[in-house]
Amino acid sequence: MTEKPHATGTVAPGDVTRRVGIEMLRQRGIDVEQLIQKLIDNAAAEFASTYYYYSILRMYLAGHEDYKEICEDARLEDRQHYELILPRIYELGGSLPYSLHEFADRAGCPHAYLPGTDNGSHPPEQPPSAADILTVLLESERCAIRSWQEICDICAGKDPRTYDLAARILNEEIEHEAWFIELLAMERDGQVQPSGHFRRGAPGEAPYSRNRAFHHGGAGN
Amino acid sequence: MAGDGTDTFHITFEFPDGSEHTVTTDRDEYVLAAARRAGLDLPSRCEVGWDLTCAVRVLDGELDHTDAQRYFPADQQAGFALICRATPRADLRLRTHQAIAMRDHRLAHRLPTPYGV
Ligand code: FES
Ligand SMILES: [Fe+2]
Ligand SMILES: [Fe+2]
Repeated sequence: MTEKPHATGTVAPGDVTRRVGIEMLRQRGIDVEQLIQKLIDNAAAEFASTYYYYSILRMYLAGHEDYKEICEDARLEDRQHYELILPRIYELGGSLPYSLHEFADRAGCPHAYLPGTDNGSHPPEQPPSAADILTVLLESERCAIRSWQEICDICAGKDPRTYDLAARILNEEIEHEAWFIELLAMERDGQVQPSGHFRRGAPGEAPYSRNRAFHHGGAGN
Repeated sequence: MAGDGTDTFHITFEFPDGSEHTVTTDRDEYVLAAARRAGLDLPSRCEVGWDLTCAVRVLDGELDHTDAQRYFPADQQAGFALICRATPRADLRLRTHQAIAMRDHRLAHRLPTPYGV
């Protein structure tokens, strides 16, 4: 009899209550429940960041059309990150919280606020400077890098699918950090810190994470 | 602080394996940074005082959490600290690796927290 080790396992034929795609991870030592929770925390941070990129940076960068465009790239790519990781949460047996409030509360990275608003409690009394806004954005990219790097660390050599998704997101977060360093270094300090950035093909290009495109026409399709 | 003798602090970390390590720092250095400077390997993720990954239990001493992004009075009352963004205000004795305990404390008090710590 020919041995077919990959055609055997603990999930009975026809059993639809369990997934071999999950059992494989457990066998390799992944704490699937914890991984799901981390992915939901990260998804919440991506979701929230789409909101504040849009509301904070792009809306309040009057006179800086170049920054607005780069901010829009980062905003749409964060939305893409949310879209990319969402199906994986369900594949692994998880679910988003049924309350948006609960979802926002559990974000793995801080909520950003427009500078000069006392954490969003009132409109800014003075127009925030571009440097202040870029600082907020830079720090949010850094938290995103730390969060997705952690998922890569957990999944490396054990969960190639989640690793691949997280690595694609991480690629773009690393680019975002470099962009905002370049902009902030010049805007605030008059220093050149090149990021290698020229331009995305179109807003929302998301060169690494766009296979779960959420909008039609233009980039991502 | 000039003249009050509180510029230098000793921080003792109690690890889960029972080992203890003491580091010396000042009132301006984040506790996690002081630990790292001394070569201690402690968990962190957000590094802005938000996600609880670096949580410790304060067995003795006082910290300043002004720079932490999300830290509640109830956290302090329950004896938790987020050392990535906290500075010492006294000599400290801290029990490390308390993220899950702090998350459960937040949930019990209906306070916001990431779940995946
Ligand atoms: S590492 Fe996130 S709270 Fe300290
Ligand atoms: Fe992102
Ligand atoms: Fe980003």
